[in-house]
Amino acid sequence: MEIYISGYGVISALGNNVEETLQSLVSEKSGIKKGTQLHTRRFMVGEVPFSNDELKSTFHLKTAGSRTTLLGMVAAKEAFHGHELIPGVRTGLISGTSVGGMDVSEQEYRRFLVDGMCDLNRFSHHSSGTSTEEIAAEIGPFEFVNTISTACSSAANAIMMGARLIRKGTLDRVIVGGTDSLTSFTISGFRSLMIFDEEWCRPFDESRKGLNLGEGAGYIVLESEKSLLKTKKKPLAKLSGWSNASDAFHQTASSPEGHGAVLSMSKALQVAGIEANQISYINAHGTATPNNDLTESVAFKTVFNDVVPPFSSTKAFTGHTLAACGGIEAVISILSMTEGMLFPNLNHSNNIAEMGLTPVVHCSKNESILHVMSNSFGFGGNNSTLIFSKI
Amino acid sequence: MYYVQAISSITHQASFGTDNVFDVLTELEGNAGLISPNYTDYIHPSALRRLSPVLRMGIVAAKDCHAKISAEFDAISVGTALGCLSDTEKFLVTFNKSTGDVISPSAFIQSTHNTISGQISLELKNHSYNMTHTQNNVSFETALIDGMMCCDEGASSVLVGAADEAIGFLENIRSKVIHSSKPFTSGATFFVIGQKKTSVAIVDSVALNSMDNRSSEIDLFLTAHGLDRSAIGYVFTSDGQCMEGFSQHLDFTNYVGLYYTASAFGVHLAHDWLKVRKNHHALVVNEICPGKLGLTLLSSHEV
Repeated sequence: MEIYISGYGVISALGNNVEETLQSLVSEKSGIKKGTQLHTRRFMVGEVPFSNDELKSTFHLKTAGSRTTLLGMVAAKEAFHGHELIPGVRTGLISGTSVGGMDVSEQEYRRFLVDGMCDLNRFSHHSSGTSTEEIAAEIGPFEFVNTISTACSSAANAIMMGARLIRKGTLDRVIVGGTDSLTSFTISGFRSLMIFDEEWCRPFDESRKGLNLGEGAGYIVLESEKSLLKTKKKPLAKLSGWSNASDAFHQTASSPEGHGAVLSMSKALQVAGIEANQISYINAHGTATPNNDLTESVAFKTVFNDVVPPFSSTKAFTGHTLAACGGIEAVISILSMTEGMLFPNLNHSNNIAEMGLTPVVHCSKNESILHVMSNSFGFGGNNSTLIFSKI
Repeated sequence: MYYVQAISSITHQASFGTDNVFDVLTELEGNAGLISPNYTDYIHPSALRRLSPVLRMGIVAAKDCHAKISAEFDAISVGTALGCLSDTEKFLVTFNKSTGDVISPSAFIQSTHNTISGQISLELKNHSYNMTHTQNNVSFETALIDGMMCCDEGASSVLVGAADEAIGFLENIRSKVIHSSKPFTSGATFFVIGQKKTSVAIVDSVALNSMDNRSSEIDLFLTAHGLDRSAIGYVFTSDGQCMEGFSQHLDFTNYVGLYYTASAFGVHLAHDWLKVRKNHHALVVNEICPGKLGLTLLSSHEV
């Protein structure tokens, strides 16, 4: 059964919607800069340049929620724009998030620690499941609402779950993707792991030191063929392959041979029913940490038998948006096919010495791109691969 | 049918290692604690020291299931509503109180919801599909729906489970998140489903995010499986409401307390009630959060 993509939406440091995101990618303009908030100002981050109140007013959001939820509403609304809830089309929302309402909870918890008092009402937004229910309240109601929380592969896994539910016949149409906002919690967390780069991050570069964090949300709408006949939507692309595998090596580091990554890429190719050499472009996980980019490169060489297709990490544009990255990069992967473009891996000057792999360094137009592979890897050795195909 | 190959729970009941938990149920007293197994039988003491209650419970219940079947899991699907709360709180305290640039990352790296499923894969060196669902009170049901789908896709033994832990701070926000006076508790239930025929099977599970009327949703669910209320031998429910027409029911939160994935323990009770009764059905009804309904149907079989 074919799984069609009939909508997409995105917000990140690159722009407020798909069109702005494309323009930033084409102009090779990173959204990462010195942070402006109390908790971000010491770091290079990919911030969405709106306060929560500005998000509500600019995007006409009716439902209250954490910043994670508000960002999710903006992107999910864009993805679902032009769609209607109609009888006979069973529609769901599956969203990935790792922080949920932590941006709200951490402020109140800090007040609790300092003053022993805080606004307890605000903890009602905390749970990750609630953040998805709030997004559903804004654009739903939906028959099925589900949240996936597998750290940085959350959105990719939400997309996979949606595709499988359509294939099984449980749903006809589903909004899938993910959202995460910048929080003190995650900034302090990655700082404690000492994997921040104080400069712009440099994915797949010999001199890479670590990642820049970002925030945002990305969603796509998946539909069955039967559903398309009812919704009359024109599909943008297909989701043809997906897989999740466990590295089972370490809670935060990847195995030297990238075993989990090899498994997820290989199994996704099997699901898509294509050979490795049919992949036109890989949107890599490419966080710019020494460990990820080396092991992902090793895995590329294994899966593609040393003939690695054009690849890039777009995290030097957006920052690492954690649970949202699989959704944002799904939108970028679809744009790559619909626009016939390879998007660049910014800030690259020297290949990782022992790998000798050169990513795409400048935007390349007029390409024939038939199949795009997108990787998302998370804590817990959670490795996910999606394959998007041209219609 | 998704036949249950093994099941294991760590709760406020003497559920771990007990042949039939239904037979040994005792009403929860005021300050009754979690009844933990000897964790060092399953986890190396040096590793155990770093593990929060929810990780200990999840890993050990999963390992107990693993020991009971002679196969590796083809997929692992875990539900948790609030995830690793103690590590989350510990890291909030750590970074808020730190003055220097160096802070310990250990609580942070164990704070993500999928630490439970990830640590299970690490302990068992399992490279298969590994998923974590979090949807408030239907976190367990959504994980089960995923696990059943893995079986449909060809997996022959799928580990499905749920775990949640209580921290003291939850009491502070009780009235903001739940309408119940039952104590917040911790618990974990894991089980293995597959095609190999056993005496008890999961027939189906649904997680409804929006519904008009619980009673009619229950009837619709039963009708879809050719059943009515009189065909259900026992109902395991989160509150005892809408039970007209059912012959027997009990509220599982009276026995394990209140955690958002307690319906997984309801499935354990249903399993143990069914396994000594051939050709019966049992139903688990979970509306711990009002308006969000989880329903799970089980059946027993001649083997």
